This record gives sequence, structure tokens and C-alpha cells, in this order.
Amino acid sequence: MPDPKKPRPPFSPWDRRELPGSFTVEETARRVGNYKWVEMRLFEALGGWVATVPELDVKMRLGTHCYKHAWHSELWHKRLPELREMNPDRLTLPPNDAMVEFMEALTAPEGEDKTLEKLVGVYRVLIPHKIAAYTYHLNNTSTITDAPTIRSLNFALGDEFEDWRDGEMLIQSMIENDEDVRRAADRQAELESIMVRAGGITGPGSIGTEEVPNTVEANA
Amino acid sequence: MKRHLTVEDLARDGRFVRVNMEDRMNDPRNVGGPGAYGRDAAEQAGEGGRAGRVGLGRMVPDAPNAPDAARSLMHGIFVGEIQALEGAGRTCYDFDLGDGADQVPYALKLDMARQCWDEARHCEISVKLTEWMGTEIGEFTESPFLFQAACNPDALLRLAGVNRALEGLAIDVFNTMRDFGDKAGDPVLEFCEDWMLADEVTHVKMGSDWMRKLTVNDPERRARALEFQSVVDKLFSLGGGRSDDEDSPIRLARRFRQMAGFTDSEIDEIAEVSRQARNEAEDRVAARRAAMAAAAGSSPPAS
Repeated sequence: MPDPKKPRPPFSPWDRRELPGSFTVEETARRVGNYKWVEMRLFEALGGWVATVPELDVKMRLGTHCYKHAWHSELWHKRLPELREMNPDRLTLPPNDAMVEFMEALTAPEGEDKTLEKLVGVYRVLIPHKIAAYTYHLNNTSTITDAPTIRSLNFALGDEFEDWRDGEMLIQSMIENDEDVRRAADRQAELESIMVRAGGITGPGSIGTEEVPNTVEANA
Repeated sequence: MKRHLTVEDLARDGRFVRVNMEDRMNDPRNVGGPGAYGRDAAEQAGEGGRAGRVGLGRMVPDAPNAPDAARSLMHGIFVGEIQALEGAGRTCYDFDLGDGADQVPYALKLDMARQCWDEARHCEISVKLTEWMGTEIGEFTESPFLFQAACNPDALLRLAGVNRALEGLAIDVFNTMRDFGDKAGDPVLEFCEDWMLADEVTHVKMGSDWMRKLTVNDPERRARALEFQSVVDKLFSLGGGRSDDEDSPIRLARRFRQMAGFTDSEIDEIAEVSRQARNEAEDRVAARRAAMAAAAGSSPPAS
């Protein structure tokens, strides 16, 4: 039987978590506030679209996904006070005006003949950008000090990947000819351009920056 | 995307056939004319049926057309679930956040989003059940009455009309269908109805809780909401087909309604409204039968 008094290391040999992380408390709160804003706009839009799409399978998927994003927004809403933001509404904001423009463009399609445009906006533009920003955050935050955010990111990412697959398969099933291909591509390009101006769902730096040090300076 | 849709904005594929509420209520299969769904043989023969009632008997498995009655009801549940999904979704979108009369709290939107997921599952369950029962989508008509209640510009009245009145009716209907599944020896139907019943109790409780929270300092708004709920309850008491009576087509599920936040007096009030509607329906049925008999050149059957 193991000796209960025998000293053991505080971190087991297989536990490689480290203290350093890329984000301060303030920067984490800012990003989390942006996440909540995006998740809210998304669940509202998905809920609103349910009545406007005639395709029964799409209608039911949107209803299901609506709740998932509402739940994500609630996760971030509850995380904000733990990051010293006692008024969560204060940080529930878009990162910039371009992101507001993006969400307005995303939710603009309304008619029952616009299902493809609705789906492309969500599943080929917004959700991939959410996955990117959440993954960047997950991979760069402190695995010890920011464990609660990591847990929520993992929950959200699990849903995002599953929903992206659902949405992409619905889109593929609705594209039947060259004209549909063009419609989907045009819609994706239109929204992607706005998202590029926004810099991602948390603004510039949503997925970090790729600054390569100047070689001369680095060698000096 | 605009806010506040109307019934005309609802998107459907080509299989669905929409009728208005008046046509649906006057369908002789629903109001108990000859050949009415699910009635016993004596009743269909115009001899009064069980307990001497005409056209308002309970749906029983051994009735000659019970399968059609159950399929019709199941299709009605299915389209109701679609509208409930759409209504909850619109409440997520139609309102800004805030405490004003034309705004809603964040937590209410979260509840409506949760209801979206639940109703989406109910659509999935219902469409599989309709297939299981041998029905195709669109075989029966759709009346968009539930979504109509969900178009109210006041979110509280939506909750009163949809969550409290119509989801309350769903509690009664699912409870009845669950019992029908049990009596008919259909464990799939019984199983599914029981699960949906659990969700409906949750949705009605959401309505009851928000009704209390949003009107804690606004008795006038509360009175308006209760009045709207009462109107919807009366309108959808199924021609008096919902009551405490053992042989009622839809029995009031008192225990589940209590779990969902209804007081005993509120349930009594629904029963009373239903009794009034039943009397009116019986008068309509008698008049219809008399007219049919007159047209056929014979005397009307005893009722």
C-alpha cells in the first residue's frame, strides 16, 4: 500500500500546465465582452430567422443552434464579473464599428428565398472566425490562472465545430448548380471583406499577429 | 431583418396547407358532425354516444376512426411545435434588452432560446411520430393560431398567450395523448408524449415566472396579460373539448398545471371557460345536424 506520508510533487509528471499566458485580466475581460456581444447577436438572428426559412430541416437546426449560442453568451456573461467587471453590460460590446457593420450585413437577408445567404454568412464566415478567435485564446492564455475561461472556451468550441459541420452540410445540400455556387461565393466574399476590416470577432489581433522580427535588428 | 412578423410572413415548403382558425373549428370532423374523428359508433350514428353527448366524447382506441383521430391530432401537434419554435425564436429577436414595456430582460431571451431548442426537438419527435402513425406532412391542414399569439407586440402578452395559454393546452393534450398511447398499446407514442410533456411543464413555468417578475410593480400590465390569456384560453378550449370530465376529449391536467405555476383558482377558471365553450359548441352541433337533416328531408336525430 502506498505510504500516504510520502511527499509527492504538486504537479504530477504528466501535468505540463504552465503559469505564463498572453493575456492580462483586463485584456481577457475585453475579449470575453466581445465574445458575449457576438454570441448574443448570433442567437438573436438565428431565432429570428427560424420563421423565415421554409426548409424544415434548416428551421429545426437553426432552432437548436440558437440555444447553443445563447448558452455561450451566458457563459461569457457569468465570466465577466470574475474578471473584475461587475457590470457585464459595460463590456458587452463589439470591438469596432466594422464588426457592427458585419453583423448588420449578416442579418440583412430576410426573404424565404435567401436561406443560402443566411447559412453562408453564419457557417462559412462567422463561425469559422469564432473558431479561430476561440482557438487562439485557448492556446495562448495561462493554463493555470485562466482555467475557467479555458473550460468555457472548450465547451463553446465543441459546439462551434459541431454546428459548423451541420451548417456546412446544409449549404452543400442546397448548392445544386453554378448559379448557386456563385451566390454562395459572392455572399461569402461580401461578408469576409467586412470581417477583414473588423480584424476578427475581437478586432485586430483576434488570432494574434504574425510579426516577424526584422533580421538585421534581431542580429544586432 | 425586420422585427415583428405577421402570420403571412411564415415560411413553409409546398407540402403545408394553411387554413384559418374559423374553417378549422367548423370542420365537421372536429366539431362532432357525422363521421367526426374518434367518436364511438353510437355517437356517429347520431344516437348521442357516451353519456348522451353529441360529438364531444373522449378519443378512445376502439372507436372505428380512432386511428384517423390520433393521426389528425398528431399532425396538429407537429405544426403547433413548428409555430412554437418560430414564436420563441422571434421573441429572441424582436425586442431590445431593457426594462421598458417594449423591451425584455436578457434572461428572458435566454429562456426563449432554450425553448427554441426544446421546440426544435419536439418538431423532430413529432415528425417521426407522424411517420410512425402513417401520416405524411401536409396530409392535414395547418392553422397558424399559435404563431398569431406569438406576434403580439408586447412580449409579456406573448408569454401569456403562448406559454401560459397554448403551452398550457399542450400540457393537457400531451397528457391525453400519453394516456391514449397507453390504452392503445403504443409504447412509442406514450414514451414520446411523456418526454414532451416534461418540456411543456417547463415552458409553462417559464411563462408563469416571467408573468410574476415582469408585473411585480405593474398590476395593470398583469391584468392585460391575464385578460389576453383568458381570451386565448377561451378561443382554444377546443369547442369545450377540454375539461375535468372523465369522458372529455382533452382532460385538464391539473397536477402538471400546478407544477407549471398555475393556482387552483386559475385552473378552475379554465375549466369554467371550457364549460361555456362546450355549451356553445353543443348548440352549434345541434344546429348543424338539424340543418343537415332538414336538407336531407328527414327529421333531426335526437341529441
